[in-house]
Amino acid sequence: MFSLTASRMTDYWLSKLFFDLQDPAAAAEFRADRESVLGRYPIAGEVKQAVLANDVTYLAQRTNPYLLRYFFFAAGMPEEEFRSRLRNG
Amino acid sequence: MASLVGIWAASHGPLLVRNWHEVPAAHKERITAGFQELGRSVTAAALDVLIEVSPDHWANFFLDNLPAVCFGVGEEHAGPPEPFLKPFPHRALRGHPGLAMHLARSALEADFEPSISHRLKLDHGFCIPLWRMGLERLPRIVPMIVNSIEPPFPSVRRCIDWGALLRKAIQTYPEPLRVGVLATGGLSHSIGERTMGDIDEAFDLECIRLFQEGTQAELAAFLEMRLPITGNGAQEVRNWAVAHGAAGCRGFRLVDYLPVPAVIVGCAFAAWELHRPAA
Repeated sequence: MFSLTASRMTDYWLSKLFFDLQDPAAAAEFRADRESVLGRYPIAGEVKQAVLANDVTYLAQRTNPYLLRYFFFAAGMPEEEFRSRLRNG
Repeated sequence: MASLVGIWAASHGPLLVRNWHEVPAAHKERITAGFQELGRSVTAAALDVLIEVSPDHWANFFLDNLPAVCFGVGEEHAGPPEPFLKPFPHRALRGHPGLAMHLARSALEADFEPSISHRLKLDHGFCIPLWRMGLERLPRIVPMIVNSIEPPFPSVRRCIDWGALLRKAIQTYPEPLRVGVLATGGLSHSIGERTMGDIDEAFDLECIRLFQEGTQAELAAFLEMRLPITGNGAQEVRNWAVAHGAAGCRGFRLVDYLPVPAVIVGCAFAAWELHRPAA
């Protein structure tokens, strides 16, 4: 499910996953078994692959930037690496 | 009748807590001094109620329903949900349903359409400034959420008008409450974007200049032009616009401004001198 927000497309279910992972227990479960948690959301295959691959720039085009930051924080990516990937792709 | 006795603004970036250990000592000292000066002023104002204007960083609302403006009308609000704010000393914060509902009703009568929530979680945007100001006694809190996180956003003009409306509504509330307004967030920062970490100091300084000496129209025009092209975190300056409107667009006094790379925010602290005559 996509909707246009400013200059990006908003993927509802991807955003919902990121929103839900603000819960520490859900984030821990995700870190332990990403595919299982991803399976509960009707996220398109290409987008799932981007989540599994930590593809920051691809996902940045599909969700709110604050949710994106929360997600990679919850996923355990150091903030310096997150910022570097945002800048450099 | 209630009276509006103080208006303040402060930055609220989460790294002010989460990354505090990496903030250089000189910056720590100035940030601490900025918060403490506001804290002393808030304490001296002997507030019964503090209307806090901040965005919701996905703690309460999601894409299913994103209000432009929401008042927390509950008897109590939940403390911050973020794990890094576990040491925040309040797991619940008292609200003021009477004043909050009066604000909402006054708004509707004036053709503004806020939403209301009977149970809000107050995230870092609300709680970091309260914590860092070192208040011994928290006044009752009426949260006013202004969306600056997920577009579309209320216009800057509307935010200024919201401030004017708050002032009028406070003055018509029948209880003799001492009420303050605290806007939080900003100034420039960039979150989850290619420019994340950048601080737009020129934008910040022009904002400050316009709060100090610009007209309402100049401030609104500058912000409408620049907010879409600077870092997304600067959208929180809309909260400062609400505070400025509540002050009648005059009396802005900068307490301090410093760009702090360790917290990736142009940090600013301000108060409005409510009795200063119009220029």
